[in-house]
Amino acid sequence: MVQKHQDDGGGKKITLKINDNEYSMVIEPHWTLREVIHDKLGLTGTKEMCDKGACGSCTVIMDGRPILSCMTLAIECEGRKIETVENLEVVGNPLVEAYADNHAMQCGYCTPGFVMTAKALLDRNPDPAVEQIKDALEGNICRCGTYPAHIDAVLDAAKRLEGGKK
Amino acid sequence: MDKKKLGIMEIEPLVRDRYIQDEFNLIGKRGISRMCGKEKAGGRAEYTRDVQLPGMLYCRILPSPYAHAKIKSMNTEKAEALPGVRAVLRYDDPELADKPLYGLETKFNAGHLASDGQAFYHGKHELAVTLEQWKQGAGRVLDGVAWWEGHPVGAAVAADTPELATEALGLIEIEWEELPLVLDPLEALKPGAPLAAEEINNRNNIIRKLKVEHGDVEKGFKEADKVIKFDARRRPYTVADAEPMSDVIQWKGDNVEIWAHQQQAYDGKIIFGMKMGIPLNRIKLHVPYQGSQFGGGGNPMMHHTHGVHIISGILSKRTGRPVKTFYDRKDNFYNLSQDTDCHTSFKVGFKNDGTITSVKIDNICAKMGQYGIDHFEENTRIPNLALNYLEANINVAPAYWFRCEQNHNALCLSLVIDHVAAALGMDPVEVSLKNDGAEGRDMEYLSKFKVEHGFPDRDSLAEAIEMGKEAFDWDSKWHAPGTKMLPNGKLHGVGFTWDHEWDDTRGTACAGVLMHCDGTVDILSQKSDDGLNAMTTHCQIVAEEMGLKLADVNFRFFEEVGFQMMTPDGSCNLAVDAYCTRNAAREARQKLLEYATTPVKVLEIEYPAAFPEHHPDDLDVKDSIVYLKANPDKNVPVAEVVKRAVLNQGGTRAPLFTWNWHRQGRYGTEEGRHRLTRQAYFAEVEVDPETGGVDVKTIVNINDVGKAISPETCEGQQYGGDYMGVGRALAEEVIYDPKTGVKLNANLIDYKVFTMRDIDETVNLLLETGMGYGPYGLNGIGECIATIVPGVIGNAIYNAIGERVDDHPMTPDKVLAAIEKAKAKRGDVK
Repeated sequence: MVQKHQDDGGGKKITLKINDNEYSMVIEPHWTLREVIHDKLGLTGTKEMCDKGACGSCTVIMDGRPILSCMTLAIECEGRKIETVENLEVVGNPLVEAYADNHAMQCGYCTPGFVMTAKALLDRNPDPAVEQIKDALEGNICRCGTYPAHIDAVLDAAKRLEGGKK
Repeated sequence: MDKKKLGIMEIEPLVRDRYIQDEFNLIGKRGISRMCGKEKAGGRAEYTRDVQLPGMLYCRILPSPYAHAKIKSMNTEKAEALPGVRAVLRYDDPELADKPLYGLETKFNAGHLASDGQAFYHGKHELAVTLEQWKQGAGRVLDGVAWWEGHPVGAAVAADTPELATEALGLIEIEWEELPLVLDPLEALKPGAPLAAEEINNRNNIIRKLKVEHGDVEKGFKEADKVIKFDARRRPYTVADAEPMSDVIQWKGDNVEIWAHQQQAYDGKIIFGMKMGIPLNRIKLHVPYQGSQFGGGGNPMMHHTHGVHIISGILSKRTGRPVKTFYDRKDNFYNLSQDTDCHTSFKVGFKNDGTITSVKIDNICAKMGQYGIDHFEENTRIPNLALNYLEANINVAPAYWFRCEQNHNALCLSLVIDHVAAALGMDPVEVSLKNDGAEGRDMEYLSKFKVEHGFPDRDSLAEAIEMGKEAFDWDSKWHAPGTKMLPNGKLHGVGFTWDHEWDDTRGTACAGVLMHCDGTVDILSQKSDDGLNAMTTHCQIVAEEMGLKLADVNFRFFEEVGFQMMTPDGSCNLAVDAYCTRNAAREARQKLLEYATTPVKVLEIEYPAAFPEHHPDDLDVKDSIVYLKANPDKNVPVAEVVKRAVLNQGGTRAPLFTWNWHRQGRYGTEEGRHRLTRQAYFAEVEVDPETGGVDVKTIVNINDVGKAISPETCEGQQYGGDYMGVGRALAEEVIYDPKTGVKLNANLIDYKVFTMRDIDETVNLLLETGMGYGPYGLNGIGECIATIVPGVIGNAIYNAIGERVDDHPMTPDKVLAAIEKAKAKRGDVK
């Protein structure tokens, strides 16, 4: 009789740095970063939609780059600086409010993935042109089709960032 | 309370709201932030997929590997022995013996194969199966027979982790008996075709037949100057919704809690309660945010809602632990609604001036189809109409409504108008205006109807066309089909189409308005959030009617509180739901002013009224402040008025609570309740003659929503629907292997959902004629855009090529074939 079990010795204790917190935990080698963030740590803003690297809903920022956490093994993320959507309001990033004010969501399920992709863009380019916003967000799927509103929201957030600097 | 005085209308479905204020503080205003926006964008919004409870088990259901097969024997011992597996539910377990998949306890009682709202409107349909077979629907929640590949059958496993549940499914040993299958509705109707589901119909594959005739089509063809015939095909597309399906059920002694990802969650609870023998007052229902469904996940009788509830319920009862039954992305593709496969033939007669005299439609659909004739009946003056409709069962995933049940009706109207325009060399705009009307009658009749029933007498289509023509620059862009090549070598095309604005989903809703002792208000009702901004919209209405600041009203609709609204909102149902919140708010405002003018006794102390010498009629409320109309300087904050008067244990006042219910028409469509508002679409495309690729440059949407409560929300439906509609027009298709019936693109890479780059520009214009049947003269908007846009894209492609591609989706191979055909006709081919 087959007696396989998931905890059959492959786990490794590592420390994940997420949103300025450190989480020491035993990670199974096959766990994706999305599973760990969403299921184990309860940071449920990182959403599961396609589970195949097709939609961008699970986007988090790792070492400054937006990555697909469903296509990333958590065990490989030790020492990396990871940021999830929950951090944005904590640090006062204007994207969340700009998204709400510009109605850049409908059902909202994919929205955190867009917001994190936009955050990574604004981190490296605080004054993006419309084409640059499209370049950044074109890989994300929104089934409600809210795409045009994202342009407005990101431009609005960029303006608010600029205003904050002055 | 004098309802008449408050302007609250009685249930008269044909009478519109006579109370339209000229000025609103909040209704129709731009710049109001989405109340759910920060939660959603900030990742704090909770969806059913996110729910985790202590000790929760994860359940997966076995998907059938075959499109048509029976389980001869099944061994679950190895799965049961896997450490971490807590329960295995088998299809032959006694708990499932009396659990048919489709419940008949709610309004959705039309059976699984034809549960669209319109199914019984005509009253002429004929079931090809017995009522018993009809009710039997898709067998039991978990059965030993699979009617399509991916059909949840055989067994469900609850385990400590999702991975263990999946692993255990792989350990189940099944001996299958493969059965012959049929995938094409035309094949399915041929004599001797394999039976797709002999359990429902053991004679043939016919599910439903329908004949409709208005006037005399043969007479209409004789009267015509010209008669044309053409065929069209619409292949199935699917929901591909955002949040994969799941539910959570916790069975605790005599009580059950449900977390539901379900559009009509309360109906789901009723079915669950009835099937499981649990009184409804023992079931607590939570409905978190919904990761979009578009109706395709809405049917409470379907497996992903009703089916998973029963399975989670049984397994939670067995194990004493909460159980989350979940679909992965692939399961979602297999079990949520896909739109039906339609083969439709048209015969159309018309005069040389564009007046259509006769339309005959022969339509064969798979699973649950859509007739195709309805919008000719409802929106045109065409006197002679005939429909022959046949519905065939085949071995593919279920078909139900999916944004929406009018897909085929809308496309058929669009195709006929554009074919007639092409045959006459006319502008389709002119042909549309020539035939606009209702139930065979013209605009003169409609004008009279509007006046008689208190509506503004406006010509919605003419106004929409005028707005759209100007925004699109139609008169200078329009050209004869197949005549314009751009400097970039691409073929330029423009298209037009129109329809009525949706007012379909009528029914009942109820809601309460409760003011707390700090002057803030809760709207009490459960509804499912489908992204249509119902939260803000209803708060705007209540704040407007009560004279409160928007921030003082909240609507957390996630818990069942005894009142239910219809869902989705803003789509169609706002025309029902908003009556409840508006009427309850009006009564609450009246109560508030009564409280402001009478003293309140708390224990033995009597406090004077805020306005002791006055009558409620002397007062008004604005920005959460009650003031004397004659002297606004004399004012008292609402919070001060009610602080001792309501919800105080020692008080002598009843809570400041009102509630209202509203019935808006009957469910489905109704003769004589004419659609008065229209929508119009203009599109511009460029077709690459080398690749057959179609670039959508511009879509101009004009929607007569009657009255926009939240303009940004309406516009969101416009551009959002454009992306879905263009996807359906050009790419979305569920593809099956023709030999095995295995779905080949059940993932978000191979199934093409359109993204940011797929439309260059959308222009979103709202027309507000006040001719909707909802409060403030409003109408729905959400469902119609994605439904109608494939038609306008098809018309624009025709205008570019000069040859029709009436086979949706219009993929590059079909576009190239049409270009070749056009070349051959012109004699270009060497």
